[in-house]
Amino acid sequence: MSDSESSTSDRTEKSMDQEHKEPSPAPRDEPSADAQSDSSTDVTPTRKTRKRPELKPPAEEQKNLQTPQSAESAPNASTETTVSQGGWGYWGSWGKSILSTATATVATVGQGLTQVIEKAETSLGIPSPEELSAQAEEEKTDDSSGTNKEEGEKAYGMGGAMGMISSSSMGMLSSLTTVVQSTGKTVISGGLDALEFIGKKTMDVIAEGDPGFKKTKGLMNRNSTLSQVLREAKEREQQQQEAESVSSETDKKAHYGMLFDEFQGLSHLEALEILSRESEAKVKSVLTTLSGEELTKLREELQDIKEPFSLMEFDDELEDDMKGDDGEDFVKELTDVLERLQISTSADKLSKARKNAFNHITNMKLQSESKQQEEEEEEEEEEKEQETPVTKYSVEDAHLFAITSLAEFTARSIEQFQKTAEMLLHCNTEEATAAEQARVLSQVTIVICKEVSLLSKKYTSCLTTIGANEKGEVLNPLITSVFLEASNSASYIQDAFQLLMPVLEVSHIQRTVESAQ
Amino acid sequence: MAYAYLFKYIIIGDTGVGKSCLLLQFTDKRFQPVHDLTIGVEFGARMITIDGKQIKLQIWDTAGQESFRSITRSYYRGAAGALLVYDITRRDTFNHLTTWLEDARQHSNSNMVIMLIGNKSDLESRREVKKEEGEAFAREHGLIFMETSAKTASNVEEAFINTAKEIYEKIQEGVFDINNEANGIKIGPQHAATNSTMGGSQGGQQAGGGCC
Repeated sequence: MSDSESSTSDRTEKSMDQEHKEPSPAPRDEPSADAQSDSSTDVTPTRKTRKRPELKPPAEEQKNLQTPQSAESAPNASTETTVSQGGWGYWGSWGKSILSTATATVATVGQGLTQVIEKAETSLGIPSPEELSAQAEEEKTDDSSGTNKEEGEKAYGMGGAMGMISSSSMGMLSSLTTVVQSTGKTVISGGLDALEFIGKKTMDVIAEGDPGFKKTKGLMNRNSTLSQVLREAKEREQQQQEAESVSSETDKKAHYGMLFDEFQGLSHLEALEILSRESEAKVKSVLTTLSGEELTKLREELQDIKEPFSLMEFDDELEDDMKGDDGEDFVKELTDVLERLQISTSADKLSKARKNAFNHITNMKLQSESKQQEEEEEEEEEEKEQETPVTKYSVEDAHLFAITSLAEFTARSIEQFQKTAEMLLHCNTEEATAAEQARVLSQVTIVICKEVSLLSKKYTSCLTTIGANEKGEVLNPLITSVFLEASNSASYIQDAFQLLMPVLEVSHIQRTVESAQ
Repeated sequence: MAYAYLFKYIIIGDTGVGKSCLLLQFTDKRFQPVHDLTIGVEFGARMITIDGKQIKLQIWDTAGQESFRSITRSYYRGAAGALLVYDITRRDTFNHLTTWLEDARQHSNSNMVIMLIGNKSDLESRREVKKEEGEAFAREHGLIFMETSAKTASNVEEAFINTAKEIYEKIQEGVFDINNEANGIKIGPQHAATNSTMGGSQGGQQAGGGCC
């Protein structure tokens, strides 16, 4: 339905432009065109809104965002509302928070303010103004070819069934506007968290890093699914990369979102979302068929399942010392916890991802140690220069390894949850209740997030060693981006965990029915 | 890496007909005689070129076991193409096609392109289902048909690509509303379409990092 609106508004916009050009070329009425598009429900104008962060969101759209949320009984509803109420106004405080953290950073690390902002922008995947204007032009050309076709396509409308599908499948909403809007916002508010977090932490890191993940607040907004948020981020990175390759600045850059997709993280997430959504619908329909005592009883039981999903406390003060940890502790801990689920799951892939990370870290450590030795020797005898080690990692290499590892580890974690969801729906175990399983899974989440935190520490410590001779302007943004992506990873993992709640509820209902028969 | 379109595929059919092997052959160009049973769904992806356009295939390889059926059904939605696979050396897998087809039609969108695949064509001596039977079934139900061998890679590429061509044609004809992502089609990042032809160097495989 929004398709038709979008095409019409596109056309009006364009025809307006043309009219302006021909009869009265003098007043280029850009603002009015913009104002019009801002209030319409169209994808392209929404992007425009994004390009102009200082613009306030149209009131009606805010309403759209809030109404479904107020109906949600989700535990994090309150945080969501704040986020959406903030709207684009958040940009203001966002800027401020950067400013304050930046000044702090400047003082300690000696990093320029603009750089912090630049870095923040690139890590958040916000395209530069130049890219945006280029993009806008391309959008215009694309649109013009698309408009004619759309009428033809509409004629092939697929009836009522499609409506249902479109609102539920693959996490795609029929109204793209709200998605893009809220996606933009979630990314930014998510980024805001991360940035504040980084700002505080960067200094600590330089001294002695400890990126804990105290917040359980994820990126999830019910109007946009997590996979959409991530897909958007990936696509922006793709565009960015292309823009970069055109200007041929740096060819090797680590793009978390694209890597995450390459590790099939997006696909697993989509599948998990499908199972979660369908389970949610099933639970709702079961609840409507019950009444009286039965209903109260089930409600109470479901409440027990929900509980572990709302309290998640990360014990990040727990000191993991940095001894040569090859991830075996993690694998053991994870396997032990998973066993308590009483369903056949294996942590092999996640363990492998952890081992890969360990190998990268060890290689880098070895290399940097030999480099250090070399330097010490160099001080004694200068002519040693030719004997450079075969594998020499630059800080960019180390950064790429770090981001790749985080993306792989996160993708595998989400796969772990997706497989868990399938197994929960597949076999009704008698050994553990759904509420117990919920507690176990919250434990799993904590174990995994702790590991993400540990990995980011290890990688940044590698970065600091390798980049010991680099300037702060080179090294600091890389370290910041590792922490940013680690923080995002933890959010994605926690959001994926939340998706398991309806699955456990259905599983519980299935078991109850089965035992009653 | 940038694509003009992304198509979602599903691979369905009885257990042991070679669904995962077909996917592996297509994404990694290798054959693995012993394969773990698929649990729920696994994924693969690869970039192909049709009409000078880069198209990314995102393939959902579903479990064939009956007990997973209710779960895998959930994944049919939003697929643009389906590979319905049977084993030419096992008559029962051919007999079950009607059920699979009904299931697929019921749980996916009506425009989904379905390719019927008679796999294991290398095992001619053990053949139980004639090629003509497959062709007849396909004709009757409006499917495309092909016999493949995941082992020798015969027709594997073609099976995936011809399905994509059919979907692509449907897009050109306007049958698919590409703006409705429930059809299993996504448009790539905006300017992908314009310079995709030049980005050929990045084509080829782009499977899940060989980690499956």
